[in-house]
Amino acid sequence: MDDQAREQLSESDLSRREMLRLTSAALIAAPLLKAEAQSQTPRFLTREEFALLDELSEIIIPADEHSPGARTAKVAEYIDFTLSESFTDEPRKVWRDGLKLVDALSQEMNGKPFMQASPDERIAVVTRMAKGEANPRQPEEKFFAELKGRVTYAYYTSEIGIQKELEYKGNTYLKEFVGFDAK
Amino acid sequence: MFFKITPTQTKEADLSKVYDAVVVGSGAAGGMAAYVLATKGLKVLLLEAGRQYTINEINDQLRSTEWPYEHPRRGAMPFDRHAITFNEYNFRQPPYAQDSPYKHVHSYVQSWGGSDYSKNIVVDEKDHPYTGTRYAWVRARLLGGKTNIWGRLALRLSDYDFKAASRDGYGVDWPISYKDIAPYYDKVDLLLGISGVKENLPYLPDSIFQRPTKLNASEISLRQSLARMNRVLTPYRAGVATEKLKHNKYRNRCYGRGACNRRAGGCDIHAAFDSPTGLIYPAMDTGNLTLRTNATVSEVLVDTNTGNARGVAFIDTETGRSYEAKAKVVVLAASTLESARLMLLSKSRQHPNGIGNSSGHVGHNFCEHIMGPGITGLVKDRIGKPRTLDDGRPGGFYVARFRNLTEKHPKFIRGYGFEGGGGMTMFPGNAIEQPGFGKDYKKRVRDYAGAFIEMGAFGEVLARYENYVDLDPTVKDKWGIPVLRFHYQFGDNEKRMAEDMAESAKEMFEAAGIEIVGVSRNVLTEGWSIHELGTARMGNDPKTSVLNQYQQSHDVKNLFVVDGSSHASAANQNPTWTIMALAWRSCDYLADELKKGNL
Repeated sequence: MDDQAREQLSESDLSRREMLRLTSAALIAAPLLKAEAQSQTPRFLTREEFALLDELSEIIIPADEHSPGARTAKVAEYIDFTLSESFTDEPRKVWRDGLKLVDALSQEMNGKPFMQASPDERIAVVTRMAKGEANPRQPEEKFFAELKGRVTYAYYTSEIGIQKELEYKGNTYLKEFVGFDAK
Repeated sequence: MFFKITPTQTKEADLSKVYDAVVVGSGAAGGMAAYVLATKGLKVLLLEAGRQYTINEINDQLRSTEWPYEHPRRGAMPFDRHAITFNEYNFRQPPYAQDSPYKHVHSYVQSWGGSDYSKNIVVDEKDHPYTGTRYAWVRARLLGGKTNIWGRLALRLSDYDFKAASRDGYGVDWPISYKDIAPYYDKVDLLLGISGVKENLPYLPDSIFQRPTKLNASEISLRQSLARMNRVLTPYRAGVATEKLKHNKYRNRCYGRGACNRRAGGCDIHAAFDSPTGLIYPAMDTGNLTLRTNATVSEVLVDTNTGNARGVAFIDTETGRSYEAKAKVVVLAASTLESARLMLLSKSRQHPNGIGNSSGHVGHNFCEHIMGPGITGLVKDRIGKPRTLDDGRPGGFYVARFRNLTEKHPKFIRGYGFEGGGGMTMFPGNAIEQPGFGKDYKKRVRDYAGAFIEMGAFGEVLARYENYVDLDPTVKDKWGIPVLRFHYQFGDNEKRMAEDMAESAKEMFEAAGIEIVGVSRNVLTEGWSIHELGTARMGNDPKTSVLNQYQQSHDVKNLFVVDGSSHASAANQNPTWTIMALAWRSCDYLADELKKGNL
């Protein structure tokens, strides 16, 4: 065992240093900006598929007066990344087929592909897909469950989801525990 | 400004030397054995099958305060690694990694959030197969074993457990009483630190607690409601130093960061107990402990004249080379199942059924805790409330056992407790459950996040002779060592108890005015609790037990087995604190006996 292995910080120094790291927005923002610059081309999806997914994600979790939505949180980018890295081909097939189903449903309902439909027409398509949410049977209903699951996961693990939308207060150094004494 | 700890050099293992004791395994039990024996001046060789991560290396992996979005896969393992799913355990038989297309296969705990941080802690099932009945076996091979990621609930047993057989007529009493182990529980509390609130319950004795954690709004009202039913909800009794341990320079106190709740576990400031920083490094500082990692022990070696243990054979985990280590006393602490496996592997002329197994009980009376039934509820007056910090602590709450204490339940014997928690978490679980999409959906997730409370039960699985492990006649692990074959399943008492878990959970939430969102009645696969116990039980009768009350083999005086395999019953309390208290007691005895020349 070498010197470094036993290197340990004193209690007060550790907390001070860590608190500084955690509260420094600049340190957290820097790597995110870098990721943005690199995200021009989707990794797995085509540009068209990516745009469709981006729009679907924003319909599921839109921007509102409280916080930005899935688009700003780069949900589509994260899903595209996980699909590109998937060890098996199955998820890639599910998503490619699923996005095709969305366009086919829009064609059937609106007479045009999803991205050419109006905002209301788009919401009508997603409403139809979500109809069987409690017990999905149709292929487009099953895809909606997959879509919503991954979109919500990606959104609520993003910085926007955790910090802005949910205003999560944990994962920080506390001098004292918070709450009520058990008496 | 940093201050540096002067490192303690561990000596190279000297395999020509006869050590006073060789300890096999470095988790809670082996760490404690090494600590106690080295502190008493014995020359100890500690063998660990896995590798050692230095403090800096393990901290670099655990990264307790990393946000999901700071990690490229939001904390998930690389995608060529696979965690066995709940369904796979149900529809497949071990070995679960057989024919898997993935490069690495891990047990289910690696599917939890933040699994990337523990991927080098939990074993690869491809290298470590096992066979037989289905079993979710979670193993960690590295210095410290599973203590690197343990759940931290640190409970004492009582005479309701040690003398359970006398109370209800099932099984055997332990060869000890609470008064025998109580001083050792105290020692463990003071050495390692434990958080909790005194409740004065005879069936769940208090520890010497440090600063307690707190309950959040929904939990405190459930506590008050349960008190009216004569049931006790107490803050999580966590094996975590919530105050600085002045005698330990390797550990910090808890700062309520909560990462231990979000992940498989692990604490990069070592406020949560782990064996390396809590026991092994302090033991090294005595100068009496030699550590040899990457040492996969394959057999306890026997003196052909006396039949006593003379050391162990081990294989270098990396190179595959074989070695022998010599010692006056052999202490097995490889975990309940691995210690049993080692005893069964150690066949000789004197011990044809495996060392210490003249009773034929090694591998048998295998028990643990049954899990699965639980409940989720909605606390309506918490909906839409301003955000509070609810999860900055090492655990939520524990509901102490209430069955078969003063009254006899008509359908089952023994008891169960609940672990639970309420309030805000980093990921809002209700995002999955809330129907719909769009602005309304988003607002509902936001308003309801923090309004949920849930709990799940851990119940005693009866120790039964017919639940056992033996050696598979053909399948071997990566090192050519025969693997364990499981013959193990839950029985009727467990199934009836599980039904009651779900019913009583419902009753308690209803009484507290909590709206029930879901009740789970399904039992999880055997092994899920990671509390396997009892494969080399202690007892007074050498015909029906393997070890005496000091975890010493009835057959071989210089062989001790100081891990959970020694437990005569599972009780319903999480076992780690009891494992360490017993190991301490036994090693005190071992050192005395060795001094007297009795070993």
